This record gives sequence, C-alpha cells and structure tokens, in this order.
Amino acid sequence: MNNTARPLTDEEMYRLKSPARRERLFRRASVFSPLLLLLLWEISSQLNLIDRRFFPAPSAITQTAWSMIVSLELFVHIGATLRRVGIGYAMGAIPGVILGLILGLSQTTRRLLGPIFAALYPVPKIAILPLILLIFGVGDMSKYVLISIGVFFLMFYNTLGGVMQAPQIYMDVAKNVGATRFQTFRHIALPAALPNIFTGLKLAAGSSYIIIAAAEFLGARSGVGFFIWASWQTFAVSRMFVGIVVISFMGYLTILLIEALERHFVPWAKQ
Amino acid sequence: MAAPLKERLMPKVVSPPPAIEVSTLTKAFYNSDADSVTLAVSDFSFSVARGEFVCIVGPSGCGKTTVLRILADLETKLSGEVTLHTDDAPAMVFQEASVLPWLTVAQNVALPLRLKSTPRAQQKTRVDEMLALTGLTSFANARPSQLSGGMRQRVSVARALADDRDILLMDEPFGALDEQTRLVLQQELLRIWEATRKTVVFITHSVDEALTLADRVLVMSPRPGTLVADLKVPFERPRDVVELRRDKRFWDLTYEVWNLLASPERA
Repeated sequence: MNNTARPLTDEEMYRLKSPARRERLFRRASVFSPLLLLLLWEISSQLNLIDRRFFPAPSAITQTAWSMIVSLELFVHIGATLRRVGIGYAMGAIPGVILGLILGLSQTTRRLLGPIFAALYPVPKIAILPLILLIFGVGDMSKYVLISIGVFFLMFYNTLGGVMQAPQIYMDVAKNVGATRFQTFRHIALPAALPNIFTGLKLAAGSSYIIIAAAEFLGARSGVGFFIWASWQTFAVSRMFVGIVVISFMGYLTILLIEALERHFVPWAKQ
Repeated sequence: MAAPLKERLMPKVVSPPPAIEVSTLTKAFYNSDADSVTLAVSDFSFSVARGEFVCIVGPSGCGKTTVLRILADLETKLSGEVTLHTDDAPAMVFQEASVLPWLTVAQNVALPLRLKSTPRAQQKTRVDEMLALTGLTSFANARPSQLSGGMRQRVSVARALADDRDILLMDEPFGALDEQTRLVLQQELLRIWEATRKTVVFITHSVDEALTLADRVLVMSPRPGTLVADLKVPFERPRDVVELRRDKRFWDLTYEVWNLLASPERA
C-alpha cells in the first residue's frame, strides 16, 4: 500500500468541490424562483397580454402596497393575521404531535380512539365556521379554534404515520437499553417521527393561511383576509392584490422558516 | 476413556455456576388470518456458564433468533423455563442496522447510560473507553449514515457494552457484512471478549464463524428448532482468526457440524 500519496492539485480540488458549490448556489437561487413569476406577470401586463383591470401590473400593486406600508395600515392587518395563525397553529400542532405519538406507540389507544379521529377528519373546516362562530363568538378565539382544528389533524396523522413507519428494531433497542415509556417517547418515537412531523408542519402552515383567509372574509374587522374581502367589495383591485400577495408571501416565508428549522433539527434526513 | 471415579461422582463441583439456564423452551406463532400455528422452537434446552462464549448455529428459520429474543425479553415464551442468573437484563447486539440515525456515534454509545441518568462526566469517560475498545474514537461525532456497515456494527457492539451488563446477546451481528470486514470484526470481538469476559450467546448461520469464536457450539435442527448437538470447541485462547484456518481440528469440526446440519437425524 502506498501511504505517501501525492497531495491533490488545485485543479483536482476545484473539480472535487464543484458539486457542493453548485448545490449551495441552487439553494440560494431557489429563494428567488417565485420572483421570476412576478417578472413574467409584469411584462404580460405592460404589454397588455392580460386585462389590467383584473390583473394590474406588479409595479402598480407595489405602489399601492408602498402607500399602505407608509401609513402602517398593512402592518395592522399582517399583525392580526399572524397572531391568529401563530396561536391557532400552536394550539393545534402541540396536541396533534402528542396524540400522534401516543396512538403511534400504543396499539390499544389507537384501536379505541383512532376511529373517532378518522370520522372527524373529513369534515371540511370551513363548513364548521358558522358553528365555531356560534360557540366562540366573532372574536379571535373562533379563529384560533378553527385553525387549530385544521392543523391538529395534519399534525396528528403525520406524526402517527412517522411513528408507525419507524423500524420495529428501534423499539427493540429502546426496550433493551432499559428505556421507560416516557423515554421511549422522548428519545425514540419523537426523533423517529421528526421528518414526518416537519412534513406535517409545512402542510399545516399552508392550510392555516387558507383557513384564516376564509375565516377573516366573513367574521373579522382586521387581518389580511378581511382586507382582501373589503377591497373586493369596493372594487379596489390593486389593494386586493396587495392582500393576496402579502398573504401568499406570509405563507411562503413561514414555510421557508420551517424548512430552516428542519435543516437544523433533522440533520440526518436527506434534503 | 473413562474418567477417574472421583471426577465422575462430583463433576459439578468444579464447574462455574451457570449464567443462563434454558429447559424445554417452546415457542409457537399463531396467525389468526390463516388460522395457522407455526411451531418455531420445540423443547430446546441448554445452559451457558458464566464467562462462556456460546454460539448457536442452525439453518435459517430454525428459531435461533427467536430463542435469543426470548432471552432478551423481546418475545414471550409459550412454555419451558428460562433462568438468567444475573442482576441486570442482558444487552443485545442486533442483526440489522439498529444504530439510531438521529444520534452521533458517541451519542448512540452513550444511550444506555443517558437513559439511566448516569452523571455526564462518568458517561463521557465510559463512552471514550468503549469507542477506544471498538476502534471508533475518530468517528465519535460522525452520523451513522456516514459510516460503513462494519463501522455501524462496531457502534452497536460498543452500545451493548456501554453499561457493562453481565450477559451479551448477539443476533447475527456480522451477517450482513462482507467476508473481510467480518474476519476483522471477529478478531476484534475475540479481543474485546478477552478483555471483558462477558457471558456471550452468539447466533450465526455460519459454521466457520461459530468455530472461530465459541467455547461451545450448539447445533439446532430445522424448524421447529431443537438441540441437535452440543460441541466443545477446543482451540486455545487467545485465538487468531487467520491462524485457526491452518488447524486441522478446525476443518474436522467444520465437517462434523456440516454433517449435523445436512442431516440432523444422524446426531
């Protein structure tokens, strides 16, 4: 065996590292890909390829947005929506993960409670908005509850799936190293389900914004959803688009944030 | 040749106390969909002395893994007696990749200690010792996905040794490895065993591996598994896995075991 190998040349080093370099570049570029869509829209609108009454150019929308930013009006709505989504999300995600872990680990609990969740899951969340308004009033509590219901099921089923897909051998290891029931939860089931939990968190973020937009259309005096609805009623199309863009961006940034957390907390999973 | 009378009368006095005693162990599986019963192990009896290295060989599906899982309390027996003369549960080295992917090598090895809330400093000392013993020191902070199969099995062995339990159960730990890696790990295991003198029950389908490692080889019949032969392996220790292959007795024993495996009724 030759143990005194020659060192790699600079050129070899460059080629060796180039896939990693490309990967970094793509990761940065992927943040900007939605911007490309905006550019296409701007051009189409400027060239009158699309009807400007319904689809004002992004530059016109930006002007409207700017005036709303300066007057701080936009932030009031963003703040209201973020608060509702944030609180409702936490109210749904935490019990969803915990129950998913419990039912994933315990066959008895799964048999007893599983059918209840299976029966409730298909109920459209928006369809029960009137009921929620009736019970919790038109205040913020009804929004928290509605979002938490939507988030709960996604987190519950993703966590459950994650635990059940975990190789049986991990549970054997837990038992053999003398893990208690709680330790099996904390040190085996939770990390094993973590990749699925993050999938759930991303899906739940998307559906939270769908639910909040609809909920704010009907039963709110603030929030981005309310703002979109109010703009439609006054045919302020440009303002309406500001609302649409803002809520889309909020969803997009939320998912970017969750993906960053995922890279941090699930470093063993393939991206 | 007859042993002297005195030895025949009191043979048990000198032998060390057994660590594991199994008698007429029977295990069956019931499939309720097909309403069929599979008898996996039938009236299997053996005992293992403290500090002894015993290998169980048998054709695949003969229930040898089931026996080990019953010893580890991962499976319940149908009937028979299983007695472990030890204060703590046996440690197990599993068949497949049982190394947890979300923990680093050092964290995997530390797992049994961490769950017992061993003080941090003590954990670190013990983990460093185990990593050194298994040749993993420079991989302490690597993730399992970055390791080869052989390296991962070293982690599995280190983890099983970490909390220093009396009995070590090994379920075809090197079964999925290539021949060369296997030989290296067998030599390592012999060295580790010399250093720790654990009571070991090692399952394998490789006759070669059983003869290389064990003090005694138990040969099992095809399913339902039962004891066909209990052979003493006479080679001196410490053993050299390569040099063993020049020993004529090694091949004689290999021949004998293969004969038993090929036609168990000859026993």
